[in-house]
Amino acid sequence: MSAADRIEERAALWLVQRDEPEWDASDDAALAAWLDESFAHQAAFWRLEHGWRAADRIVATGAAVAEPTPEERPARWWRSTALMALAAVLVLACCIGLMVARGKPEDAPQQVRFATAVGERRSVELADGSRVMLNTDSVMRAAIVDGRRRVWLDKGEAFFDVVHQADHPFVIATGGHRVTVLGTRFSVRRDGSATKVAVERGAVRIDDGHPTTEERGTIVAAGDVAIARGHSVLLAARSSDGIEDLLSWRTGVLTFDQTTLAEAAEEFNRYNRRQIRFTDQKAAQIRIGGSFEAGNIDAFARLLHEAFGLEVEHDTAGVTISS
Amino acid sequence: MDEAALKTWFVGSVLPLEPSLGRMIRRHCRNAEDVIDVRQEVYERALRGAARGLPATTRHYVFAIARNVLIDRARREKVVSFEQVADLEELNPAADLNQTDRQLDARDQLRRALAGLDRLPPRCREVVRLRKIEGLSVRDTATRLGVTHHTVERQLTLGIRAITDFMLGGDGRIDRGDHPSTREEATR
Repeated sequence: MSAADRIEERAALWLVQRDEPEWDASDDAALAAWLDESFAHQAAFWRLEHGWRAADRIVATGAAVAEPTPEERPARWWRSTALMALAAVLVLACCIGLMVARGKPEDAPQQVRFATAVGERRSVELADGSRVMLNTDSVMRAAIVDGRRRVWLDKGEAFFDVVHQADHPFVIATGGHRVTVLGTRFSVRRDGSATKVAVERGAVRIDDGHPTTEERGTIVAAGDVAIARGHSVLLAARSSDGIEDLLSWRTGVLTFDQTTLAEAAEEFNRYNRRQIRFTDQKAAQIRIGGSFEAGNIDAFARLLHEAFGLEVEHDTAGVTISS
Repeated sequence: MDEAALKTWFVGSVLPLEPSLGRMIRRHCRNAEDVIDVRQEVYERALRGAARGLPATTRHYVFAIARNVLIDRARREKVVSFEQVADLEELNPAADLNQTDRQLDARDQLRRALAGLDRLPPRCREVVRLRKIEGLSVRDTATRLGVTHHTVERQLTLGIRAITDFMLGGDGRIDRGDHPSTREEATR
């Protein structure tokens, strides 16, 4: 085995390990150190990372999933049927349990509702152990239906860290769209009729929730952002930094890069009752970058005044900015 | 040159050249096993040079490096074939320049990925399928298939290398016959 072979082998192993649930910050540092050791390491790793990602198209359509070979099909079918039957029995048992315990059959299946106020951020744990961070001004319901873990995002945005259970799909409905979880960590945001999904780790499938097109979903892999509107889904690859920025709200921070003030203000306005307004287009079109406290529009306005000399007026309704 | 910009250049401008670069290397390598080594050396030199500043024309730059690497290797060989060196010195990078390197579109990528998956050995294919499509972790895959953690990792690294090779215009076969742990596994 040549040196090039060994490097490629090591690079592939890093890729495998990076997708594992146990991967943490110290592993990140170890990988960065290995990459810094030589250009040969960088070349091998970047190449495999790119090729492996390009192959994500395999899962771009559910229909294209490689069929199991004929000899293994009967056993597999039997196994999954048996598991589904078992799951159904368990769900039934849970429902009966609930009915007996509460004496109110109309409550089954049990639905749990979570909501946040403007500016609030809340972390909740679901019955299966999955964790959800609910962003500002959001409403979400969760239940287990027919063995499927179901979540309805009625409004706003949430970040999901889903416990993997291959036999119990985790499905998020956002009105017109449905996001099926194939991996682990991602956020879903609802903006009117559009659904925006950013995936930090693993993969999810997004479709329009129609039974006949169920198998034609789009796979959003780690590092991708998908925006779904009606039947169309736009996929944009982001660097991992880009994804981090999109998800910085989890720590109460908004991160912008080449963002117009109008767009930045729209973001701030999701988090605050006091709103940012512009009196003229010239100020609204200025592009900015940086990290800001989501709840502090006065500090943001002060920075705009200092950096661009914009006029800022504060009142109880918010701040008015003009050039 | 920061690392992110270097990576963007490498992934966006160098890797799309791999199909024609691979053809050129295969044409001038006597041993099939040397192809990976040459390609890797070309990429390493390309990155080292570009870290000091990106080249004006990536294609010329990469093929000029490939030519130098092939000449250096031919000279290092114990039995030097003069025709081979002469051949290479005559080698005109422009000959490889008239092909257009287009990025595969999504449909091509899907078709190619499926064909690449199809070429994997059955056990490797199943492991890749569970990872990519069902999103199982290494541990879950090992449990599902009743094999060791180590075996799943080995099959996955093989799959990643073979699929990448295939996506970038190679034949999607990674020969690991000389790898000690492959043999070790076979005797278990």
